[in-house]
Amino acid sequence: MEWTGLQPEMVRSELTEIAGDAHVSTDEADRLVYATDWFWLPQMWLDRGEAPRKPDYIVRPKSAEEISAILQVANSYRIPVIPWGGGSGSQGGALPVFGGIVLDTKRMNRIVEIDEKSLTVTAEAGINGKQLEWAVNEKGLMLPHYPASANCATLGGYLAPRGTGTISTKYGKAEDLVLRMQVVLPDGHILRTPIVPQHAAGPDFYRLFLGSEGTFGVITEATMQLDYLPECRLLRAVLFEDLTDAIEAGRQIMTRRLEPFVIRLYDPRSTASRVKKILGYELEGAYMVLGFDGDKDIATLQEEKAMDIINGFGARDLGREPGEAWWNQRYDFYYPPQSLKLPWMYGTTETVTTYDKIEKLYFAEKKAVEEGYREWDIDFIGHFSHWFHWGVMVYTRFIIRNPPDDAKEAVRLHNRVWNTAMTAVLENGGMVNEHHGVGLKLSRFMRRQYGDAWPLLDRIKKSLDPNGIMNPGKVGFGR
Amino acid sequence: MNTVIGAIENCRFCLMCRHVAPVGHITHNESVTPHGIALVAAMQRRGQLTWNTSTLDVLYAEPDGGNCRAHCVTDQPLPAAIAAIRAEVADDGLAPPEVVSAHNRIAENHSAFGSYEPATMHGEWGLFVGDVGFNLARETVQAALKLLEACGLDVVPVGCGLDSGFIPCSLGYPKTAHAQARLCIEEVQRTGIKKLLVLSPQDLFAFLQMHQERLDITWPEDVVIIDLIDFLASQVPNLKLIPPAGITENAAAYVDPTHAVRLPERFDAARSLCEVALGSAPLELFWRKDRAHPVGSTAIQFTRPDIGVRLTEARLEDAINRGAKSIVCDDPVTLHELRLRDKSSMRIQGLYETMLTRLPPHS
Repeated sequence: MEWTGLQPEMVRSELTEIAGDAHVSTDEADRLVYATDWFWLPQMWLDRGEAPRKPDYIVRPKSAEEISAILQVANSYRIPVIPWGGGSGSQGGALPVFGGIVLDTKRMNRIVEIDEKSLTVTAEAGINGKQLEWAVNEKGLMLPHYPASANCATLGGYLAPRGTGTISTKYGKAEDLVLRMQVVLPDGHILRTPIVPQHAAGPDFYRLFLGSEGTFGVITEATMQLDYLPECRLLRAVLFEDLTDAIEAGRQIMTRRLEPFVIRLYDPRSTASRVKKILGYELEGAYMVLGFDGDKDIATLQEEKAMDIINGFGARDLGREPGEAWWNQRYDFYYPPQSLKLPWMYGTTETVTTYDKIEKLYFAEKKAVEEGYREWDIDFIGHFSHWFHWGVMVYTRFIIRNPPDDAKEAVRLHNRVWNTAMTAVLENGGMVNEHHGVGLKLSRFMRRQYGDAWPLLDRIKKSLDPNGIMNPGKVGFGR
Repeated sequence: MNTVIGAIENCRFCLMCRHVAPVGHITHNESVTPHGIALVAAMQRRGQLTWNTSTLDVLYAEPDGGNCRAHCVTDQPLPAAIAAIRAEVADDGLAPPEVVSAHNRIAENHSAFGSYEPATMHGEWGLFVGDVGFNLARETVQAALKLLEACGLDVVPVGCGLDSGFIPCSLGYPKTAHAQARLCIEEVQRTGIKKLLVLSPQDLFAFLQMHQERLDITWPEDVVIIDLIDFLASQVPNLKLIPPAGITENAAAYVDPTHAVRLPERFDAARSLCEVALGSAPLELFWRKDRAHPVGSTAIQFTRPDIGVRLTEARLEDAINRGAKSIVCDDPVTLHELRLRDKSSMRIQGLYETMLTRLPPHS
C-alpha cells in the first residue's frame, strides 16, 4: 500500500529538518534500488516483473545524534526504520517489508582513531570494509575480518548479523574483534558500551546488539581489534578421497591448536563443480585449502605438524600453487556470471555445530534436500570453512537450475526447500545460521531454534522497542 | 538485447566493485553505484520503471571513468553498456538538455570546449593534443612539446581542439563519436604520423580501447600509439634534468588522472617523472593507482555537473587530508578541473611544466 497525502509530507519535512534535504530521498529510482538486498527472493521477485515493497524514505544521516532524532520521529509516527549498510546481506535483513525509513549509514564513514599501541581502530559504522582495511594496511596493520562481502559491506554490517570472514579460523568472527560500540537505541538514547569487553563488571550486555540486525538499535561506531599484517602466508592444497577423513583431519588440526588461518574443505560435489569452474582443477574427492600465517618460522612449523596429521589420512599433497590460487581467487566465486545468479534458484543453508554432530548433520541435510526435490534436479554442494576448537561451520547450498517461471510459485518452492533444510539442521543439533544472519529469510525458524529461551529475547525486544519500529519482520520479531 | 547492454544483467545485483565506485563514495547513495545504475536500467527494460527525471538522473550519474571494470574479475563492460543505453535514450529524444547541448557543440565544431584547428604540418612523430589541452590548458601542451624537443624529437601537434570521440560516445551519441574517431585517424594519416604520442589519458583510452570496443573502429596498423608519460619516463637519462635545490620535505601529491585505472602501465612512469621533477617521491593520495578516482572531467561535467564538481572537490580533499601543499598531475584535462574547483591555497602544478623548469639551460 502506497502512503500518500499530507502525513508523508509531514514526516518528510521532519526528516529533512534533521538530515538536510540532500540526504532525504523519496525518488522513484532510489526507492526501487533500496527495495532489494542480496537475498534471492526479492531479486527474483523484481526479475519476474513483480513490484517489491519499497521504502517510503531513504535517509542518510551523518551522526548518531541525527539517527537519534530520526528514531524519535519514527516513534511519533510509528514508522518502521530499517538500518542499511552495504545492502550486501543475503538474508533479507535490510528489506523494508513494511515500508518506512531506510536508514543508510554510509555517510558515517569516518575513521575516528587508529591506536597503534593497543592495535585498535575506532570507526563509524558506515565505513566500507575494504576502505577500512586499506587505511589500516597503510600502518602495517589489518582488521582480520575478510568476508567475501568486504568490497561492499560496512563495519556495521560486519557486526549486526555476526559475520564471519575467510580467516576467522585463527582470528575469530567479527563479533570477537569488537572492543566497544556506540549504539542508538530505538527510543533515540545514545549509549556506549564499556571500554573493553573482557571484564567482570557486570553482564556482557554489549553482545545483545551483535546479531540483533538492527532490531534492538543502530550500531553507529565500533572499536575493533587489529593485528599486524603477517610476515608470511603459507598456503597449500590437499586432496582427500573421503570427506569423513577430511573432517577428522580438520578437527585434529583445530583441537591441537595449530592455528591455521584457513581450512577450506570442499565436499566432493563442490570440488567437481565450483573448484573446477573457478580454479580450473579437475579433481575427484574433497579439496582442502590449508593456510598458516604470521612469523615464517612459526607458520612453517605449524604447517609441518598439520601436514603430519593430513598425511596420516593418506591425503594427496597438491602443493602450494593450488592453495595460493584459491587465496588469490577466493572472491572470484562471487562475481557474476561466475557466481550463482538468476534465473537459477539458490540458497546458502549454512550452519554450525559441534564436531560430534557435524557429519551426521551434513549428510542428513543433504539427503533431505536431494531426495525431497529430486524432481527439480536439485544440486546440493557444500564446504566446511570456519573451524572452531569445538566444531565447524558447513556452508551448504542448494541450486535449482530450472525453477518455476511464476514468481509466486518460485517463492513457495524456495521456502519449502528452506523448510526441509532447516528442519534437518534443527533436528540434528545445528544452528539455523552461522554468519549470514537471520533477516527475513530465517525469521520463522527463530522460535524453534531458541525454544524456552525465545520469550526472553522477545521480552528484551518489547522492552527496548515498545512501538516495534526497528527493522520489523526480522530475527523472529514481528511488527 | 544488445550484447554490451547485457552487462547490466550481470551488474544489477553485483556489489563487488563498490569499494572503488567514486560516485557512490561522494553521494553515499546506492542508486548511483554501478549496481544501482545497472538495476535501474534493467528494471526500465522490464517495464518496472520509465525514463523520467528521477531515473535519468541515475543513468547519467555514471562517470565513465573505468573503476568498476578495472576491478571486475569477469570484465563486465558496464560503462559501455550505460553509454549504449544513453544512446537509446537520446534516440528517443529524452536526453537532458545539457547533454544535447554538449553533443551539438561537438557535432558542429568537433570540440566541446572551443575550436578545432586541423594540423597542416607533416612528420613521423605526432603529439595528440586533444580538446581540453588545446582550448583550456595550452601551457601543458607547450611544456610537453618543449620536453619532446629536448629529447631531440621534431613533433607535429595534431588533434588540436579535437574531441577523440570519448565525450559524444559517453553522452550516448555513437554516430558523432564515430565521426570524431574517424577525423582523428584521418588527421594522423594526412600528416604522415607513424608514432603518435598522446597527451591525455582520456584520449589514449579512446584510441587504445574505446574506438575498437564501442565504435568498432580499428586504428591503422602502421601507427604506433604511445602514452606520452611512458615515453618521457624512458627519456629521463637523455633530458639530464637538474634536481630542484632546497627541497627538505615532500609536500606535493601526485593525482593519478581520470582514466588512469584503465591504463595501469602509467602508474610507475608518472611517479618516476614526479621524483625527477620534485626531487623526491610524491605524496600518495588514498585514492591512487588502481583505485584512483576521477575528477569531474569525463563526460560527467555535462551529464551530472553537480556530481562532477564533487568528484573534483573530493580529490582536492584527499590531497589536503594527506598533508599536501601542492598537487602535481600530467593530464591537462584533470589539471583544468582541479584548478577550476580549488578554493584552498593548494598549488596545482603541471608535471610537464615542472619538468620544464628542470631542463638545463639551452637544452
